[in-house]
Amino acid sequence: MSLPAARKMSSTESVYLVEVVKGLVMTMTHIVKNLFDQDRFRTVEYPDVRKTMTDRYRGAHRLLLRPDGKIKCVACMCCPTICPAKCITIIAGEDPNDPAEKFPVEFDIDMLRCIFCGFCVEACPKDAIRMDTRIYEINAYTRQAMIHNKSYMVNLMDGIKPPAEEFYRLNPDSAPAGFTPDEPSATGSP
Amino acid sequence: MPKVKINDVEVEVPAGTNMIEAAAKVGVEIPHYCYHPNLSIAGNCRMCLVDIVGGRAPDIACNMQARDGLAIRTDTPAVKKMRQSVMEFLLVNHPLDCPICDQSGECRLQDYYMEHGDYDSRGIEEKVSKKKRQDIGDKIVLDAERCVECSRCVRFGDEVTGTGDLRLMNRGDHTEIGMFPGERLEHHYQGNLADICPVGALTNKDFRFQRRVWYLRETASVCGGCATGCNIQVCHQEGEVFRFLPRRNDAVNKSWMCDHGRDQVPEIAGLKRILRSRVNGAVVDVEAALIALAERLKSAKRVGVVLGSRATNEANWGLLQVVRKNLKSARVFVVGGNDPGSVEYADALLVDADKNPNSAGVALLAAYDGQVETSEALGSAMSDLDVLVVLEDDVLGRLGKSAATLVYLGAFKNKSSEHADVVIPVCHSVEMDGSYINRQGRVQRIRRAVNAAGDSLPAWLVMERLGAKLGSAPGTGMVAAAFNAMAKAVPRMAGMDFKALGEAGLLLAADPSQPEGGDARVETSV
Repeated sequence: MSLPAARKMSSTESVYLVEVVKGLVMTMTHIVKNLFDQDRFRTVEYPDVRKTMTDRYRGAHRLLLRPDGKIKCVACMCCPTICPAKCITIIAGEDPNDPAEKFPVEFDIDMLRCIFCGFCVEACPKDAIRMDTRIYEINAYTRQAMIHNKSYMVNLMDGIKPPAEEFYRLNPDSAPAGFTPDEPSATGSP
Repeated sequence: MPKVKINDVEVEVPAGTNMIEAAAKVGVEIPHYCYHPNLSIAGNCRMCLVDIVGGRAPDIACNMQARDGLAIRTDTPAVKKMRQSVMEFLLVNHPLDCPICDQSGECRLQDYYMEHGDYDSRGIEEKVSKKKRQDIGDKIVLDAERCVECSRCVRFGDEVTGTGDLRLMNRGDHTEIGMFPGERLEHHYQGNLADICPVGALTNKDFRFQRRVWYLRETASVCGGCATGCNIQVCHQEGEVFRFLPRRNDAVNKSWMCDHGRDQVPEIAGLKRILRSRVNGAVVDVEAALIALAERLKSAKRVGVVLGSRATNEANWGLLQVVRKNLKSARVFVVGGNDPGSVEYADALLVDADKNPNSAGVALLAAYDGQVETSEALGSAMSDLDVLVVLEDDVLGRLGKSAATLVYLGAFKNKSSEHADVVIPVCHSVEMDGSYINRQGRVQRIRRAVNAAGDSLPAWLVMERLGAKLGSAPGTGMVAAAFNAMAKAVPRMAGMDFKALGEAGLLLAADPSQPEGGDARVETSV
């Protein structure tokens, strides 16, 4: 494959100085505009200011609780099966006092492996896992700490109203079938 | 033999064959719940309804015996509609708790719904709820809601175990499977109930919630629990064995296996496995242990060797070759009986009193060699022997005494391994290829399902390496070559090939030293 021949420069371009001045004019125009119209700024002064993610943004996973305070997940293994990154590890156990019989003894997601595709949320038959937290700062000092465990994901939204639930509570018409607002907000360990 | 037509394809089947089996012969699957090849025909699920060409009305394929001129169709709109309606009917009161049901992934309701159901639910009435999670036996949990009342388990109790413990009770959509009040399953074949249940009503306690079945890989093998040699599927994932399932072989175990066989699963990765070689109690690698063993054998004057009735034919052949090629004065013994601590239960169905899977193979080798001595001879010769080499069998436990120096090659810790000077770990039967000969004289393959635990080596390979250290190895190099060398030498195995053993195994030729009909090649009474 041959590359196209280099374009011939025009006479003003070959002088070079004219083009430099053109560039400076562009820069100066933006400086003056930004000075007088600061709302145009695209840059966010992170971390003092944070971007608001849309409702569809797939952030860190959280696990949901039933109204009786037990975890919704029944360890059916649909999410680790569908997960293309194989980052979900569930160990199932039996709860003799629960009509649901089965629950996850351990539920770990390796966030270093996760590719945030959202398949786990799609696959879940119990609406037990969601990615509606809008949390995008997923970081830690060790690899071990990047593995989110069950209690971390259950308590992730402590004191924070998950955006989607908040939205559905305010707009019940657009809520998905079967949505019941958890009142008071689901906290505590499963 | 009558010729029948299935969807215009003509096939010749033995008289009395039902149309589900006949259709399977030409690759047409007729869905069914209640039909099981090793149980009587009940005909109550109605899933196998097919159209008879020129017939008045549809009929069930499971109860339709092949006769000349019979032609059925399984692809008409009427059949499709019937299957869909039966599916809808069976699922009317089904709780749909697939997320917590252990049968998910191997459930006929799931499979057939996707294939033949696929209707939109019309149910508006409340579902009939029944008792869930009933503890009905040591191995089985019953969930009456999930049941489709196919009565396979009832027929299993009536026809196979003869215990008649499970029953269908009540009428209409309140029909449910249950036990008599206060009764529990008592027989040793409970695991089969979970296997034959086409839905999640009967599930296995030991396997419950352990692993989703779609993760499991299956390897066709043979149970090493007793001399019956039931054909099994070893279900495993990533080097861990989760369950044994019976594999159908009508000449050996039909579709069944006992619970003692299944109970071996936790032992495979259990604490009783020998993982490292030891010489005088110190952990060494296998090579060092083999060198130490070779030195002891070379320096000893009187060596005794015990063939392993728990070891494969290939291992025993290798051991015999090593001894006959290198240790001219060594005496070879066969020790019968069972290891102490083994299950003593035996019955006329499958469980044999002999808990060694390869007693027949060892007996065959002993007959071939001609100079193999019995356990009584070993008992009286014990004090004369300097070194006793034991393959798998717990000789110290069985006979209560041992030679001055004991060498143990085996998979499990026992009395012999505790007192042995040299211990070399060998593979469990799910970790290696090989063959066993069962009580009928059927040569059956075991296949490697998972990797060897610890430093374990297949026993035939240990013999190969030991032979090399002593001067002359059996020289087979591969397990198939070891088997084929044995088949070439032993007259009753003439013509056998390791690869040609297949899934069902091959019977030995009749024993010429036995009178007609006097040998043990009887079909089991299952």
